[in-house]
Amino acid sequence: MVPLKLIWRNLIRHKLRAVLTTGSLVVAFFLLCVLRALVVSLDTGVKEASSSRLVVQSAVSLFVDLPVSYQNKIESVDGVEEIMKMSWFGGYFQEPSNMFAQFGVDPDRISTIYPEIEILSGSMEAFMASRSACIIGIETAEKYGWGVGERVPIMGTIYPRSDGTAWNFDVAGIYDSHNASVDDSTLFFHWEYLNQSLESGASTGPPGVGVYTVLISDDADQLRVGGEIDALFENGPQRVQSSPEAEFNAQFVSMVGNVPFFVGAIGTGVLVAILLATLNTMLMAGREQTRDVGVLKALGFGSGATFWMMLSQSFLLCGVGAGGGIMLAIGASDSLRGFLGTTFPGFAVNAEIIQSALTLALVVALFAGLAPAIRARSLRVVEALREEI
Amino acid sequence: MVESRHGVELRGVSRIYSRGGETVKVFDDVDLKIDAGAFCALMGPSGSGKSTLLNLVGGLDRPDTGDLTVGGVALGGLSEAALASWRAESIGFIFQGFNLIPVLTAIENIELPLLLTNLSKAERREHAMHALELVGMADRAKHRPGQLSGGQEQRVAIARAVATDPGVILADEPTGDLDLESARQVLDLLGRLHSELGKTILMVTHDPRAAQRAERIIHLDKGRIEEPEQGSKGLSGEG
Repeated sequence: MVPLKLIWRNLIRHKLRAVLTTGSLVVAFFLLCVLRALVVSLDTGVKEASSSRLVVQSAVSLFVDLPVSYQNKIESVDGVEEIMKMSWFGGYFQEPSNMFAQFGVDPDRISTIYPEIEILSGSMEAFMASRSACIIGIETAEKYGWGVGERVPIMGTIYPRSDGTAWNFDVAGIYDSHNASVDDSTLFFHWEYLNQSLESGASTGPPGVGVYTVLISDDADQLRVGGEIDALFENGPQRVQSSPEAEFNAQFVSMVGNVPFFVGAIGTGVLVAILLATLNTMLMAGREQTRDVGVLKALGFGSGATFWMMLSQSFLLCGVGAGGGIMLAIGASDSLRGFLGTTFPGFAVNAEIIQSALTLALVVALFAGLAPAIRARSLRVVEALREEI
Repeated sequence: MVESRHGVELRGVSRIYSRGGETVKVFDDVDLKIDAGAFCALMGPSGSGKSTLLNLVGGLDRPDTGDLTVGGVALGGLSEAALASWRAESIGFIFQGFNLIPVLTAIENIELPLLLTNLSKAERREHAMHALELVGMADRAKHRPGQLSGGQEQRVAIARAVATDPGVILADEPTGDLDLESARQVLDLLGRLHSELGKTILMVTHDPRAAQRAERIIHLDKGRIEEPEQGSKGLSGEG
């Protein structure tokens, strides 16, 4: 009943205050979207992990390598369809800050183990054909401008070359993954290339295999297969621990630290801050408009109209602020993925995050607008008109 | 003069306030009758109950006891929502401090009470413009209250008060904040509303010259209504 222009103009009655409050809402909702996207990107790898894959690692630690000889023994376990070596390389391109995931793998088995990988340019055959070949996820390739046929120099940290030079990998394919369990920022190369280099003394580092990724048949029981693999090496020489991929990914995430907790704590702090800032603005607005409320009631507007006039201002304020923050986060999503993509693969401000942000905006609007709205509803005309502003 | 059916009648009305734990009787068993179409001035010292009487007649406040009838409507039987609707239809308020909404232009302020009617947007604009013309402020339609002088603001407030064509106009010290010339213009306008449009006008004032414009002067003192001046038009007050 109260015209929208009155609600809007009351909101911008004090332009500087309106700009500052809206600005703080924009920044806060931008941060909330980005922080939420970080947590989601960590969770995605766990949520979308394949139930038909197991990861076999040393029972002592992820950082203890397994013997190469284990591969054949694991392969013989009933229900195992395929097995692939994976060794974390830990290198960087030019600068240590340009770090992204690199794994030494069995190139002839990767398509079977990870069917979600699709080669966009180049070919899997070319990858298998050359010992120094590699395939690179589209995100990393785009970030550094790499294409098929180029030679990529990577400095080894776990496996440095003896002469101090970089490892050279020839790009045989650029891939895109259809599932978050394999991100689009990894470089896969020949494990054999790494092994031969170690054996020849061209490079140094721990021998063996980081983990084995095992694909089990559709009808096989994950727990049974894992138990049988673990049982194979119960008496050594190196005990192993088999985990479903989701569990392994979760363990990997937890190694970074309790990121979801810290990000959640920061997000909660941001939320409380905007709640208080918006509440403060709305309480001031409510007090300033006391006389207007009295006038409207005297003219015949009901208590409900004045209640909604105040609450609408809060919704409008939060709508503009949250909308701005969300738009900013969506706009910056690609750039942020460039910065964060290697640490937080699959980083994206998706529909679920936008929906959460909008829900939060509604909560903030309701929280901040309810007190002045209730006051406006219950104000007696005579008292409102007498109020000194 | 146009006939009007909007009379005011108070019977045994009392109003008691609590201030700091103390009860203050503003009115005690007051009877008053104002004929439809009368122009009455309410005078009296501060705290005598002038504004309280105006608030009661305008349905902004309720009596503790007694019956109050305005334009044939017994206000005591109305709910808060019904009272608000009745105000929108029947009463026009003019305040000492003008009380225009500062973020709206003159014409938008006048359109506010029209939003509560069934008029279309174009009709509302037409009515508001007509009201502005009535008070000689058509050329200030797009000005905000902050861009107007006190006299101009009060003329816009009068236009807002008459926009819905209510039968009763309640003016609480309408010239209290104005210079002499502006006060004269406002009083002229009130006089025209009474004589040309037949509005029942109840005006609170401290200014004897303003009161002289009315056809009846009611004196209030300590919540009691003194005998009105004899010979005034519409004289029928009691109490």
